[in-house]
Amino acid sequence: MTLQECYLALDGDFEDVKHRLPTDRMVQKFVLKFLNDPSYQLLCDSMEAGNYTDAFRAAHTIKGVCQNLSFTRLLASGEKLTEALRDGPTPEAPALFTQVQADYRQTVDAIRRFQEELD
Amino acid sequence: MKERNKTTRFLKISLALILVFSVSIFSALAIFLNQQSAKTIHEVGRMYMSTTSEQIAMHFETTMNLRLSQMEVLVSTVVTESIHQDEEQKEILIQNAQARGFDHLAFYRMDGTFETLYGSPLHVTDPEPFLNSMHNRESKVAIGTDEAGNNVILLGVPAGHTPTPEHSCVALVAGLPVSYISETLSLNENAEHIYSFIIRQDGSFVIRTSDATRENYFDRVRSLYESVDGEDPERYIENLSQAMEKQEDYAAEFVIYGDSRQVYCTKLTQSEWYLLTFMPYKALDRIVTGTTTRWTAVLLGACALVIVVLLAVFVKYFQMTKQQMRALVRAQREAESANRAKSEFLSNMSHDIRTPMNAIVGMTAIATANLDNKQQVQNCLKKITMSSKHLLGLINDVLDMSKIESGKMTLNMDQVSLREVMDGIVSIIQPQVKLKSQQFNVFIKDISVENVCCDSVRLNQVLLNFLSNAIKFTPEKGSISLSLDEAESPKGEDYVRVFLQVKDNGIGMTPEFKEKIFESFTREDSTRVRKTEGTGLGMAITKCIIDAMGGTIEVISAPGQGTEFNVVLDLEKATVEEVDMILPSWNMLVVDDDRQLCESTVSSLLSIGVNADWALSGEDAVEMVEKRHARRDDYQIIMLDWKLPGIDGIATAREIRRRVAEDVPILLISAYDWSDIEEEARAAGVTGFIAKPLFRSTLFYGLKPYAVDSPDEIPENPLEKGPDLTGKHILLAEDNDLNWEIAEELLSDMGLELDRAENGQACLEMFQQTEPHHYDAILMDIRMPIMTGYEAAQAIRALEREDAAKIPIIAMTADAFSEDIKRCLNCGMNAHVAKPIDVREVVRLLAKYIYAES
Repeated sequence: MTLQECYLALDGDFEDVKHRLPTDRMVQKFVLKFLNDPSYQLLCDSMEAGNYTDAFRAAHTIKGVCQNLSFTRLLASGEKLTEALRDGPTPEAPALFTQVQADYRQTVDAIRRFQEELD
Repeated sequence: MKERNKTTRFLKISLALILVFSVSIFSALAIFLNQQSAKTIHEVGRMYMSTTSEQIAMHFETTMNLRLSQMEVLVSTVVTESIHQDEEQKEILIQNAQARGFDHLAFYRMDGTFETLYGSPLHVTDPEPFLNSMHNRESKVAIGTDEAGNNVILLGVPAGHTPTPEHSCVALVAGLPVSYISETLSLNENAEHIYSFIIRQDGSFVIRTSDATRENYFDRVRSLYESVDGEDPERYIENLSQAMEKQEDYAAEFVIYGDSRQVYCTKLTQSEWYLLTFMPYKALDRIVTGTTTRWTAVLLGACALVIVVLLAVFVKYFQMTKQQMRALVRAQREAESANRAKSEFLSNMSHDIRTPMNAIVGMTAIATANLDNKQQVQNCLKKITMSSKHLLGLINDVLDMSKIESGKMTLNMDQVSLREVMDGIVSIIQPQVKLKSQQFNVFIKDISVENVCCDSVRLNQVLLNFLSNAIKFTPEKGSISLSLDEAESPKGEDYVRVFLQVKDNGIGMTPEFKEKIFESFTREDSTRVRKTEGTGLGMAITKCIIDAMGGTIEVISAPGQGTEFNVVLDLEKATVEEVDMILPSWNMLVVDDDRQLCESTVSSLLSIGVNADWALSGEDAVEMVEKRHARRDDYQIIMLDWKLPGIDGIATAREIRRRVAEDVPILLISAYDWSDIEEEARAAGVTGFIAKPLFRSTLFYGLKPYAVDSPDEIPENPLEKGPDLTGKHILLAEDNDLNWEIAEELLSDMGLELDRAENGQACLEMFQQTEPHHYDAILMDIRMPIMTGYEAAQAIRALEREDAAKIPIIAMTADAFSEDIKRCLNCGMNAHVAKPIDVREVVRLLAKYIYAES
């Protein structure tokens, strides 16, 4: 699995990230680091605990990371969740959270497969 | 109109009614008052008459009483029973009587005969009552006649003794002439005024005065009186007789000789006589008529005065009403016109919106039907994009206008480089101009200040509006120009006056349209502009913006003669000092057919340390270069305009290269996109290009690359590389590791030295713990735990350190809403850059603020 195929699998924009980051190697480095990014865990914990301030911040961070890495799909749902939590919890937040969970899983699965093939 | 006529008619009718009403009221008043005064005067006359009559009657009584008492004295002193025999006594009596002025004296006998003592024999006209009175021993006055038949007043006094058979004398009777009474009582004063008759009960005159000739008053009444109290004279005689019978006073009014008179009848005592007093109304009538005339005159005057005042009030009111009507009509017309303009605008807008909308809908349908045909879909999408952009433009205009109309427009003042504004405008306008094969020229002159404070977005909007209109309304091959001048501002040293002019030789405007060009929702409504699309709001928006900037705008236009917009703005000079722009002291040649541009450019060049000559044509230029070459004093740089009257810029370059130096940089000046001619130009020996308009900074940055020794070192694209930030210390606040690593990786590459702060609090502390000026700038994430970027920026700005207020702080966040940006700026940050990190943008901003700072 190439990096480009990985991006295809997680529904990202490889061209865009290549344009911004100088080398493919650097892209690969950051993509792999995404697996260790604590923001998702923070989001899940905060949502469970009903701490919507932290949940918002976590969603916001996920959005920022996705922007930097051009993870288009996760960015879209993350952005929606961010807006739904910006001024405290809203009725649509749980559904959007579920969507983020699904998208995150898809993204992480793709990166893991890519990582496995590297090793 | 109808309403107006109605009001006018109402006013006229009511005026007429009021006039008629006041005239009749005054007439009625005059008549009533006249009647009233006549009545009053007659009443007064009647009272006067009765008083006069009573006085006359009393006077008569007094006179008669006096005379009778004289007689009684005679009787008591002289007359005794013996007198009849005593002649001496008789003589004494006669003497006494004569001394008292009696004309006649006689004894009255029982049988009614007289024994005359002196005077002519007498005869009592109506002896019976007289005799009765004598017998009853009462004094009496009666009328009688003498021998000649003249009337004589008889005064009878009973004798003091009882009559004897031989001397049956019962009374002494004396006679006085009738004239005595009438004179004593002044009965015939003046026929004009009051006169009196004395009559007996049968109507016969005792005393008649005035013009009475008949013996009997009743005859006079019958023959002369025309009417009495409006009735037949006969009836009056009856009434008078009855009143005399009852011894009552009687008054009446009658007409004689066409003249009305008043009569008053009263009984005279000690006689069977009646006094009739007359008063002609002639004199009274004269007074009454005089009064009446005066009254009438006064009333008529008052009436006239009232009418004049009323008329004046009505005329004034009428005028005011008319004026009001006119104002009303005008207001109505204005309202209608505004309303019509809005409806027309709505219908135009609906049409204008529908056209691109139809295109979008139609193209979408076509694209859907041809999903497999990639080329067709692409084509459709291209058209959809174009239509969407157009639609967005229309909607933006409408929103802008409503914003302006509700007074919500505010200017976002910022430092603006006029060069950047002009460059931006030129690059936007050029493709459109090219499409219509129009000529486009940019002129700048006397630019002393390039950086000013202004709302660049709005300034762009104004210029684009003028230019896009110029393009729209100028036919193909027409020409359009944009000029920018500067002059000293009357507002003071901190300001500069900027003249902007957009001129075209297009279809122009009618004078009527010119007047309302800046009103909302107008667009010249003639067939020649029907097909031109637009909201008609552009000019209104433009005017509002210029008004808000405190500027003025002027239009010069005539149909078929093109249009010229002149804008004058007083803009504040930007406080930041411009980079010190100095170039080596080259000798340069500037070639352009516009003398003004040449001179302006040469003076700009001089200000950045370059000496320059100028030439107006390619031929002259070649000649000048050759001469210099011969003197071994070559020009170091040559700038050629592309379009020149004789041989053009490229040909000139070729000629110069052919005849002289191989290595002199030759730059081509062009207001146009030079990609079309680049190949040809380079082949002809042109080294590079420089874009009009030629600001000082344009020249500086355009020529700077040639300020190195070897021409080989000139970079291909000097502006692409970006500014040098090597060694600058940047503090980066970012809580997320991944984001931090990406930023570090990218920015370290640019030679920046980065320190990381994991949240706002850490950022603040790190800044505080370092020496002032250790960090050149701060990049700040916003959403961080413990302390957000907003709070951190505020806290840093609030620190008491010499660099706390000045250090550039640039926000880096995933949010790009305008309110987020605003909030960043409100918290004291200098700028905002959205994620994902675009290294060029970050570097550009860092350079801008770091160098502005230093």
